[in-house]
Amino acid sequence: MKPAPFEYHAPETIADAVGLLAQHGDDAKPLAGGQSLVPLLSLRLTRFDHLVDLNKIGALSGISRDNGHVVIGAMTRHRAVELDPSIATSVPMLAAAMPWIGHFQIRNRGTIGGSIAHADPAAELPAVAAALDAELEITSKSGVRRVAAADFFQGTFMTAIDTGELLTAARFPVWGKGSGFAFTEFARRSGDFAIAGVGVGLEATGGKITRAAIAFMGMGPVPVRATDAEKALLGVSIASLDAAAVARVAVGATDPTGDVHASAANRTKIATHLAEQALTRAASNAAANA
Amino acid sequence: MAQAHVPMADKHRDRAPLFEGTAARFVGQKVLRKEDPRLVTGHGQYVDDIVLPGMVHAAFLRSNVAKGRITKLDTSPALALDGVIAVYTHADLRYVPGTIVATMMQAMGGAACPENLLATDDVRFVGDCIAVVVAESRYIAEDALELIDLVVVAETPVVNLEEALTDTHIVHKELGTNITGTIDIPRDPHIEGLLTESAHVVTATFNQARQTNSPMETRGIVASWDRFRGELQLHMSNQNPHEMRRRAADLLAVDESKVHVAQQDVGGGFGQKMFMPREEAVIVLLSREVGRPLKWIEDRRENLMASNHARRDRATVTFALDADKKIVAGYVDINEDAGAYPFGGAGAGAMAGMLLQGPYKLQRTAFKSYAVFTNTCGRAAYRGPWQFESVIREQMVEHVARRIGIDPVELRRRNVIQWEDLPWTTPMQVMVYDNMSPAETLDQAVEMIGYEAFRAEQKRAFEEEGRLLGIGFSLYIEPSAQNMGALATEGATVQISGTGKVDVFMGTGSHGQSIETTMAQIVAEELGVHVDDVEVHQGDSNTPFGGGTGGSRTASIVSGAGRAAAIQVRQKVFQIAAHLLEANPDDLEIDSSVISVKGTPAGKTVTLAQVSHTALYATEGLPPGMETGLEATARHRQEAVTWSNACHVCTVEINRNTGAVSFARYIVSEDCGLMINPMVVEGQVAGGVVQGIAGVLYEDFRYDADGNPLTTTFMDYLLPTAAEVPIIEHGHIETPSNTPGGYKGMGEGGAIGAPPCVFNAVADALWLLGVEVFDHPLGPNEILDALATAG
Amino acid sequence: MSEVTVHMSVNGTARRGRVEPRKTLADFLREDCVATSVHLACEHGVCGACTVIVDGVASRSCLMFAVQADGASITTAEGLANPDGSLGIVQDAFRQCHGLQCGFCTPGFVVSVTAFLQENADPSLEEIREGIAGNLCRCTGYQGIIKAVQHAAATMAGTPTAMTTSTEGN
Repeated sequence: MKPAPFEYHAPETIADAVGLLAQHGDDAKPLAGGQSLVPLLSLRLTRFDHLVDLNKIGALSGISRDNGHVVIGAMTRHRAVELDPSIATSVPMLAAAMPWIGHFQIRNRGTIGGSIAHADPAAELPAVAAALDAELEITSKSGVRRVAAADFFQGTFMTAIDTGELLTAARFPVWGKGSGFAFTEFARRSGDFAIAGVGVGLEATGGKITRAAIAFMGMGPVPVRATDAEKALLGVSIASLDAAAVARVAVGATDPTGDVHASAANRTKIATHLAEQALTRAASNAAANA
Repeated sequence: MAQAHVPMADKHRDRAPLFEGTAARFVGQKVLRKEDPRLVTGHGQYVDDIVLPGMVHAAFLRSNVAKGRITKLDTSPALALDGVIAVYTHADLRYVPGTIVATMMQAMGGAACPENLLATDDVRFVGDCIAVVVAESRYIAEDALELIDLVVVAETPVVNLEEALTDTHIVHKELGTNITGTIDIPRDPHIEGLLTESAHVVTATFNQARQTNSPMETRGIVASWDRFRGELQLHMSNQNPHEMRRRAADLLAVDESKVHVAQQDVGGGFGQKMFMPREEAVIVLLSREVGRPLKWIEDRRENLMASNHARRDRATVTFALDADKKIVAGYVDINEDAGAYPFGGAGAGAMAGMLLQGPYKLQRTAFKSYAVFTNTCGRAAYRGPWQFESVIREQMVEHVARRIGIDPVELRRRNVIQWEDLPWTTPMQVMVYDNMSPAETLDQAVEMIGYEAFRAEQKRAFEEEGRLLGIGFSLYIEPSAQNMGALATEGATVQISGTGKVDVFMGTGSHGQSIETTMAQIVAEELGVHVDDVEVHQGDSNTPFGGGTGGSRTASIVSGAGRAAAIQVRQKVFQIAAHLLEANPDDLEIDSSVISVKGTPAGKTVTLAQVSHTALYATEGLPPGMETGLEATARHRQEAVTWSNACHVCTVEINRNTGAVSFARYIVSEDCGLMINPMVVEGQVAGGVVQGIAGVLYEDFRYDADGNPLTTTFMDYLLPTAAEVPIIEHGHIETPSNTPGGYKGMGEGGAIGAPPCVFNAVADALWLLGVEVFDHPLGPNEILDALATAG
Repeated sequence: MSEVTVHMSVNGTARRGRVEPRKTLADFLREDCVATSVHLACEHGVCGACTVIVDGVASRSCLMFAVQADGASITTAEGLANPDGSLGIVQDAFRQCHGLQCGFCTPGFVVSVTAFLQENADPSLEEIREGIAGNLCRCTGYQGIIKAVQHAAATMAGTPTAMTTSTEGN
C-alpha cells in the first residue's frame, strides 16, 4: 500500500502555488493536511504527477475578522479552530462541529480548506459551510473570486474549484444576537465518517424566528439545505417550536443512498432524529442568547 | 469493580503436589510481564523490522473479480521497469503437490480444496493471487503490479451459502461440487420421537456474520535461501514455528533440518498465523529462485480481503422440552461457508454439532454439518473456531424461553449440569466432562449483575420512559488443550547456566499470550528461583517440537512440559547440593536460589550458582558417577482435554432513534482452573470478549452480489475503539483440572461467550416490543429494520 | 522521480536521508532512522500504530511524506523512555496495568496517550475513552489501556493509584 511516484513542489507563496497549479493543470493536486488525500494515494485509488504542498505557505493559515465574517485561511488546522475560544462565540456551529472530525491526531494535521475542498458528502465542514452560507475564496493566477457554498459543492468530491485554482480561505458569516446553533451526527464508531449529521442555526427577535438554517451531511451527494423547513420556521415562536414536525419536513429535502452501514430509509430515520435534537438545542441556545 | 473469586474442590489430590520443596511465590500472582520493557519502548522486533543484506521485496498481483478465466497474462512490461528483479506466475513454482496441507489439521477433517498456490488459468475470489513481483522496494513492486497486462473474463460467481448449495455454479471445477466436509449423525427413532412429540418443540434458524481475525500486525515473512548450504532461514510472523518448518521443508523437498524458522515478536494472530497460507508458501518457494533474501509484508487491504475469513455460518436448530421444561433432545443442521481456499481450522461444523448440548443435561442430540466453497476469501481458524455451537445453543435457549414463557435464567438452572453430575458423558459418547462449574458460574454471574433488580428496572424504564434495556446471558463449556495428534504434545528444555541463571526452550509461538512470563513463573516456582532469573526462549524451530500457540493449549500442555523438565533439574540440583552440604537430598529445600536443609534456618546453605558451577565447571566436585551439567528435556502428553467454562452476562440499551447499542455492564464469570497469572487471564478474557462483541455489533465483512468485497479498509471494517467497549468485570471460579498444574486453557473463551451474550441482550431488549431477531450482525441498520417491524 | 535530501531530528539525533518524495514519513523513520517503533498496521490513517510527535504535535506518520517533515523534530515511542533507558511514566503505566499483549499497537498508543495527557492532565473515564479512540488495539479490549491512562495521569499528578503487583513474589 504505497503511493505511485509524483513530483513534489513546496511553494512558499500563494502566487507560486497557483502558478504551479496553472502550469501542471489536471496533473497537479494541492496537498493540504493530507488526511484524506494521502490514504487515497497510498491505496492507489487516485494519483497525480505533481503534488503542490501548501504547508509552507504561511499566508494560508490564520483566523481573522472581516466585514461581519470570520475568515479562516485554508491551511488553518482543525485543531487550531477547535481550540480558538473566539470561534465558539463567533461561529458556534463550527466550534460544535470540530470535535466530530476524526480524532485529535487527525485534527492536528487536517485543515479547514482541505476538508472543504475534498467535499466528502459525509464530512462535517462542507455541511457547516452550507448551513452558514459561507463564502469560499478561490484564488488563481487571474485573481480571487468568492463562491457561495450553495454553488461550491457540486457533487460527491466535486466542487467549483477549476483547474489552476486553489481554495485559499473560507468566510463564515457571524450571526447576530438571539442566534443559537447546534451540530450533531451519528457514526458507528467514535471519529468515523457519519451515517448522517445535521447543523442547525436559528436567530430570533422578540421571540420569533427571523433566520433559520438547516443542513444535512451524509444525506446526498452534497450537503443538503432544508429550505422548505427553514422557510416554515420564519415567524414561528422559538419557545413553542415543534422540533419533531420541523425535522420531518426538513428531512424531506434529502435524497440519501444506502451503503454497507445504513439503508437510505434508515439514514432518513436517523437524520430526522438528529434534526429534531439539533433544532431543540439550537432553539434553546438562541433563547439563552436573546 | 465487582470481583469474586471462588475456589472449587480439587478432585485430583493424587497429582504430584505443587511446588514441592519450593516457596510458591510466583504461580497465581500478578507477575508483571517480562515482554513489556522492550515492547512499550518500541524495541520489539517484528518481522518487518528484519532487514537482511541484499534483501528484496515481493508484492502479489491479485484478482479484482470473484470468478473468471485468465485469457491474457503478460508480465513483460512489469519486468522492464527499473528495480524489478523478477515476475513469477504459477508456472514458475517448483514444488511437490500435496505439501501445503497443514499436518496438524489433518486429524480434524475439514474442507479439502485444490492447492493452487497462484492462480492457474482462472481466479476464484477477489484477492486471489495471480503473479508475484520481486523488486528492490515495495514501492517499485507495487508500481510493477500496475504494468502487468492481465485480462480476466468474468464468470458468474458463487457468493453465498444458498447459491453454493445448489451447485448451479461451481467454485472449484476440479471437484464438481461446492459441498464438502459433510458429516451426518442422523436422528435415531428415539430422538425423532422426542423431536416431534415432546411437550415443547421449537425450531429456529440463526446466521452468524463474516468476521476476520485482523491482528494489528498483518502477516509477513522474510525467506533467505542459502544455495551453498541448501538451507532456508525463515523469519515469519507466525504462531507455530515447527509447523512452518515442516511445511517449508516439504514445499522445497529438503530435510527439515535444512530449515530454520525464527520469529521474535509477533503482533497477534488469533489463528490466522497457525498454519502456512498460500502467500507464505509462494515466498518460501521463490526465495530459492530469487537467490536473495525475499521479504513480503501483507498490507491491511490484503489482510482484510484475502488473508482468511471466519464465522460465516448458518444453523437450523430444534430443541424438544418436556412438560417440566427440561431439554430432552436437540438437532442441528449446520452450514458453513469455507470460501474458496480454506486452510487450517476450517471445517469446524462437526465440532459445533458435537458440542450442541454444551453445559446442559441434554442426553439426545444429532446433527448434520457441511461446508460449502464460495468465491470468497477462504476460511481459517479464528479464536474459538467452533464457537458457533455456543451461538446456536445460547441464542436458542433464550428463544425457547421466550416462546414457552419461562425466564431464561430459570430455564438454564433447570437444565445445567451440576457439580454432582460430573463426570458427565456426552450424548455421542465421545466426550466426558469433568472439573467444571457451569452452574456455579451462572450463579455468580446472576448475583454479580443483580438480576432481579435489573428486571425491575427494565420493566420500569420501558413502561415509564419507553426505553429498551436488555439483558443477555451465555453459558458455555470449552474443550481447551486438545488431546489430538501433534496438538496433544509439547516439550521443554530447562537448563541452568554456570552462574545459576535458567534458560527455558519451548516450541511455542507467542503472539501476545505472555508466554515468556507465565512459563517463567511455572519454571521459577518449580526450581525455587526468582522469576527474573528465568528466561524463556521460544518462537524458534530450534526448540523441542511443539504444536504451536493456539487452541488454548499453552497453560495446560506447555506448562506441563516446562514443569516436568524443571522438576527433573531440581532433583539433580538437590542431589548435587546434598553432596556439597553432606545432607540427604530429600531433606533439602530451595528458595530464591538458595538451597538449605529444611527446618534449619541458620544451617549451612549452598547457592544454585554454586551447584551449577560444580555441574559445569568444577565437575570434580560432583557425586561419583553423576553426569555433568544441569539440564533436562521433558515432554507432556495431554491425555484428555480440559473443560474450561464461563458465564457471560451483559446489560445493554438500544437507542430507538439510531439503532445504536450501548453497554451498561459486562460480566464474565469464568473457570479456567488454577490461574498462573490472574492479570494475564483477565487480559485474555477481555480481549476475547471485545472481539466477540465486535462480531455482533461492528465487524461485518461484506460482499456485493458480484462477489466484490465492500469492507477492505479499517474505515469500513469496523474494529471497535475504546469509546465503544464496555468496562468488563471479572468473576473467577477455580476448579483444578486433571493436568499437572491444575490449569485449563482460556485464550479463546472470551470470543466464544461474548457473541451470544450480546446478541441475547439486544434480543431481550427488542422483545419488549414483541420483536425477535435471529441473525448477526446487529448494527444500527439491522436494529432499525427490526424496530420498524414493531409497528 | 528525483530524490530529495531531508534532514530531521529524531528523538534528538540529527538524521539525513535521500528519499523519493513519495516515501512516507513512517517508512523513512523505520527504514532510514532505525525508529522501528513506528508500526504500520493500516497505512491509511485509521489505526494510529504509526503515531509520532512532529514538532510537538501527535500525527499519523503514514499520512505525511518524509519530505514534508524536512527540518522537523520528531519524537517516537523510543524517545519517550527516560534518558537512562528506564520506562517513561506512560510506558510504565502500560506495563503496570497490562495495557498490552502483542505490543504491536503499543508504541502508537504510548505516543498518543503522552500527547493526550499533555492537554488534559486529569481526564474523566469518558474523556479517556474518547481520547484514545484514535488508536486501535486487537488484543486487550482496551481494558488495561484505559487503566494505564488513569494510572499515568495519577502518577504525573503525584498521586499514583495503588497497584497490587507481585513482581517480587510474596
